[in-house]
Amino acid sequence: GARDELNRFTSGLKGLEGQFSQQVFDANGRAKESSSGKVAVSAPRLFRWEYVKPFAQLIVADGQKVWVYEPDLQQASVRAQGEEERNSPLVALFDPARLDRQFDVSEEAAASDGLQWLTLTPKVDAEANFQMARLGFGPQGLARMQVLDLVGQKTEISFEGWKRNPAFAAGTFQFTPGRDVDVVGQ
Amino acid sequence: CTSAPVRPPAPAVDAAEAQARQQERQQRLEVIPAWSMQGRIAVSVGDKGGSGRLDWQQQGPAYRVSLGAPVTRQSWRLSGEPGGATLEGLEGGPYSGPDAEALLWQATGWPIPVEAMAWWVRGLPAPAGAGQEFGDDGRLRRLVADGWTVDYQEWQPAADGWPEMPRRLQASRDGARVRLVVDRWEAAP
Repeated sequence: GARDELNRFTSGLKGLEGQFSQQVFDANGRAKESSSGKVAVSAPRLFRWEYVKPFAQLIVADGQKVWVYEPDLQQASVRAQGEEERNSPLVALFDPARLDRQFDVSEEAAASDGLQWLTLTPKVDAEANFQMARLGFGPQGLARMQVLDLVGQKTEISFEGWKRNPAFAAGTFQFTPGRDVDVVGQ
Repeated sequence: CTSAPVRPPAPAVDAAEAQARQQERQQRLEVIPAWSMQGRIAVSVGDKGGSGRLDWQQQGPAYRVSLGAPVTRQSWRLSGEPGGATLEGLEGGPYSGPDAEALLWQATGWPIPVEAMAWWVRGLPAPAGAGQEFGDDGRLRRLVADGWTVDYQEWQPAADGWPEMPRRLQASRDGARVRLVVDRWEAAP
């Protein structure tokens, strides 16, 4: 089932690189946004989420801080890396052991869209800011993530082209704001 | 090397002409009372702030503004109309109150004049009025109201039923600054 797929996907996993495409639907199911880009993760705490289309946006977690850089708005916000990462469904990517501490995890009986699914519901005390998330596993491992937030908005992220334990380019998990970028703390 | 042929700069549009154009824009927008806008917003207040994807839906005076954070797009949603607003999606919420701006400020620290912004984002002064400055190109360049200065940095050309609409603007007041890039305007059916 999906749990074995998760274990198979994450066993011996130190790092991941791949592409993603993202669709966001509002509470009435109206498609609001679609975007795509590249993602890189290096266990246990480093990640890079780079939107390329329709416009550039970069999120980098360097182990201490999380940077969100908006080139079009010439602004970067920085905050300490911490809780938010721990209770995000993305944690399954690089700290699966934490999954069961943060969420009630259940395997969905039937496959759908050709994927095996895990459903994550935040534990009562975890201050997750979403209602529910689903992780879909296929032959390449984690293929899809869905997040239903507190206002009924659904985000669906599809992953492809996973490279396992790649050699990351220098600076993949670093960010230095340019001179013309305003930096704000969150 | 050959220098590009230099076109004489377009003659500056005089104030009366600019006012007339703005009047015409206002009339065209008055027949689109229900609209939505998708864009991105960056807020800074001193050295604090943040950014996200903005989805603004307006039906006359009623608004529903939602902001999606990066990646998982977890968001808050502020909805209401003059006299009553509700903020959902934030921990400890939903919060309700008569003044949307105060509600948002207390919960997020973001100073967004929601009701006025529904006009400013469309390149219009709020009904309470505002000082207006026009550029040489005849387009609205700056609005000043309620202590805010709104600078219009980029416009998108008129298209599919919309007059020229702002694409990039910045509203600032003492240490606070709100930058907005508009990706899409849509008239609600």
